[in-house]
Amino acid sequence: MHVNISLADTSNSCLLAAVVLYALGMLAYACDFAFAKTRLMPEAAPAMLPELVSVGAIASASAGASSAAAGSAGASNATAASSTAASAAANGAGSPGQAAALGGLPSRAERWPTGFWLRAAFGLTCVGVVTQMVAILTRGLSEHRVPWGNMYEFIAAITCMAVIVLVVASVRFRAYYIGLFVLIPVVFALALDVTVIYTPAGQLVPALQSYWIAIHVTAMIVACGLYIVGAVVTVMYLIADRNERRIAAGLPSRSAGIMVHLPRPVILDRLSYRSILFAFPVWTFGVMAGAIWADHAWGRYWGWDPKETWSFITWVVYACFLHARATAGWRGRRAAYIHLAGFACLMFNLIGINLLVTGLHSYAGLS
Amino acid sequence: MTGLRVPPGARRRDLPAAGDRAAAGARAEPPDAGTPDAGTPDIVDAAGGDQRQRPVGPARLGLIGWLRWGWRQLTSMRTALVLLFLLAVASVPGSVIPQEGIDPAAVTQYYAAHPTLAPILARFSLFSVFAAPWFAAIYLLLFASLAGCVLPRTFRLVGSARQLPPRAPRNLSRLPLAVSYASTLAPETAVQVAGQVLAGRRFRLRSGDGWIAAEKGYLREVGNLLFHIALLALLASVGIGAIFGYKANRLLVVGDSFGNTPTALDVFRPGRLVTPADLQPFAITLERFRASYITSGTELGQPLQFNAALRYSTAPGAPVRSYNLRVNHPLVVDGVSVYIIGHGYAPQFTVTDGAGRVVFDEAVPFIPVNQTGLTSEGVVKVPDATPDQLGFAGVFLPTAVDSGGRLESVFPAALDPRVSLVTYAGNLGMNSGQPQSVYQLDTAHLRRLAIAPRPLAPGQSMKLPGGAGTLAFTGYKQWISLAITYDPGQLPALISGIAALAGLILSFMVRRRRIFVRAQAGPDGATVVDLGGLARSDAAGGFEEEFARLTAQIAGAQVAAAQAGSSVSPAPGDNPAPGNYPALGDTEGE
Repeated sequence: MHVNISLADTSNSCLLAAVVLYALGMLAYACDFAFAKTRLMPEAAPAMLPELVSVGAIASASAGASSAAAGSAGASNATAASSTAASAAANGAGSPGQAAALGGLPSRAERWPTGFWLRAAFGLTCVGVVTQMVAILTRGLSEHRVPWGNMYEFIAAITCMAVIVLVVASVRFRAYYIGLFVLIPVVFALALDVTVIYTPAGQLVPALQSYWIAIHVTAMIVACGLYIVGAVVTVMYLIADRNERRIAAGLPSRSAGIMVHLPRPVILDRLSYRSILFAFPVWTFGVMAGAIWADHAWGRYWGWDPKETWSFITWVVYACFLHARATAGWRGRRAAYIHLAGFACLMFNLIGINLLVTGLHSYAGLS
Repeated sequence: MTGLRVPPGARRRDLPAAGDRAAAGARAEPPDAGTPDAGTPDIVDAAGGDQRQRPVGPARLGLIGWLRWGWRQLTSMRTALVLLFLLAVASVPGSVIPQEGIDPAAVTQYYAAHPTLAPILARFSLFSVFAAPWFAAIYLLLFASLAGCVLPRTFRLVGSARQLPPRAPRNLSRLPLAVSYASTLAPETAVQVAGQVLAGRRFRLRSGDGWIAAEKGYLREVGNLLFHIALLALLASVGIGAIFGYKANRLLVVGDSFGNTPTALDVFRPGRLVTPADLQPFAITLERFRASYITSGTELGQPLQFNAALRYSTAPGAPVRSYNLRVNHPLVVDGVSVYIIGHGYAPQFTVTDGAGRVVFDEAVPFIPVNQTGLTSEGVVKVPDATPDQLGFAGVFLPTAVDSGGRLESVFPAALDPRVSLVTYAGNLGMNSGQPQSVYQLDTAHLRRLAIAPRPLAPGQSMKLPGGAGTLAFTGYKQWISLAITYDPGQLPALISGIAALAGLILSFMVRRRRIFVRAQAGPDGATVVDLGGLARSDAAGGFEEEFARLTAQIAGAQVAAAQAGSSVSPAPGDNPAPGNYPALGDTEGE
């Protein structure tokens, strides 16, 4: 089976177009921050969050009381109780976006972006991700195989997954504020991908010729996309948390211009945690699928190959993060640092191991 | 305020679930650890219940006390966290420093390159990190810590299976989620209707005078414990494989056969309890081997496919079957898996000694030293040659091309093979009693014969100086290297892995939460219904929506009940309540 050159060329053009669209989307997100008149982020009252609850019952009490007041105010008779109680519980004080800010889901109408720049940014991102999916599809068709055989293809796939996560999170949790911060690393990685890391379309070495590539590598790609967004949001959390601490200490905010667009740190923390709740089981599955494949291909399910070792290290560090979040004194910033350490391990596994170490997983296609 | 407090005993019984905020990490303090702070409000317990006191240091304790203290330290979450970190850090050298078990040749090279550093690294087992005692110490401590935490919690989970939710707090508006509204129903009926809604959604109920408490989500702890127990089982499976399994390697030239016995295997690594008699008595013959490569473009020479046509029998005398062995398609014979892990060339030589006798006529496997051109190196030892033993160190080039006066191989297939040899004569040292590698020449007692180096094509021969004889390069064969593994721990490991994943997903998806309902006559005579909600593990959010839905359903059911008639309570059959409601209800006041 020979590589279909014209399809491979189409793929290259589409990926290039996707990079341009993402870059424009990134600029539009920045313009939204700079020019948009509406500030979408309400002051949330995150009653359920451990940091506040552990401070004492006062925070919970006031939040509960306000919510109860909102409920009873509209519910003077029993017939009205049903709808009012429900909306009071779902919307808290009732401002749009509050439900999302509280970690709840926004209603259908308030999910979509508002304002010219945000709509433009989101539209460009969506068109970009579709273009990138076309690029990946045509690449696969040109090679008659799943297009995750080398580092170039893998980076194209994980950045695409990261943008898919961005789009889904934007709509589902109304988290449009992460757009700029997710697109920055995506554009950077893709720019390197199409220039330095580029590998022409080609065929697979025998060890990769297995249906397990579709299972194992796909799981790793999905997990990586989620991990990327999780790490970006964690960085945002750390910055927002520092800002909040400065304000609490009576110091002037250094990043008020950006901060006004971001939700409270606890909400960022929760969003990043959500991404890990998805990513960690998928990663676990991917490592297991890899072990089964390794057993088929190399005769052992675990052999401490450098790539295996680092996927194990990554798994352990993310497990540390999950444990740290459950341990008093480790939540918040400390857990966030562990989260970023896990992400650093992931990136080292992707870049460092591919480029520096020779092992059974040396498929990067770079010499 | 007293409604928010629970006696110490009650709080202790709550502890199995405490700390399940992050399912993977949930750990509870041992039941007698520290002093349960009796005054802590239940809210704090629920939301931050995984707060663990630092285990109290042993003050004037005897041996038992020290042991208890040590055990508590070991099973504390902090220790587990530190051990997890250590495990991650300890794995790093295994990926940076060459490992005996993965690439022994790289270790040898490392010794040559760093003669002073290498022995120091070896002393700390850094060339076999994953078999090192200190690595084992870390993971065994970690798993001991895990077992010490998980097993007691499993018993407590079993014990809590029949436990009722805690009483409803007096003031529900203090809960994280709370709603209050008026109803025309009588307080008892309003509570009863709410109870039926909650029972219909499979909440576990406890009722009292004018209140009802509901709890759901015990599967979270089940998933959590399943995950951790499955990890213990995974470690045990790996152990079973290491004790009862074996690994072996065998290089097989086309046309050759071997039986699965320790002497016929090049490398044999048996598990601790494996004896030669345990080896499955199959035999394998390599009939043909074909490798195909990409012949054009930038990936020139990259392998496309390896096909090894095998014939095998499960035991001497058993019927012979054939199998086409490929990468990713191992041969499974009698529970043992056979893999192709490498291939190369074995040039054939015929050596005639000075006396005119043919003293050597064999194909000698050469080992590839580079993958793109499959340039291979090997040695030929002719101990039977007279008057002196002969040795040859050679390079085999499958597709030899002259590049600036030097021959090099540009393609892995044997399109234009050449072999280039350096000849030695003297004592090969094979009778010294020292084991020798067949791939290395011990030149200590050999002298190099002066022959102008001339690469030989198949069919060509060279005359050795001083009447030492002739060597003919008659052709070449291909060889494959096989990995043979028997791992009885494989299936248990797979099952453990699947169980771990299932537990992980379960514990991440299920949230443990409580709903409280109170109804009482308000100052104007109307009934005031209070609803409160508390998620004991909801860091990822989502409980608000469920609480809103439940509130709407409860309020809706109450409205429906009110419309059906102020004194009519819904028929018991409408919403079958579980057995513990209301019969087991605690009707005491507070």
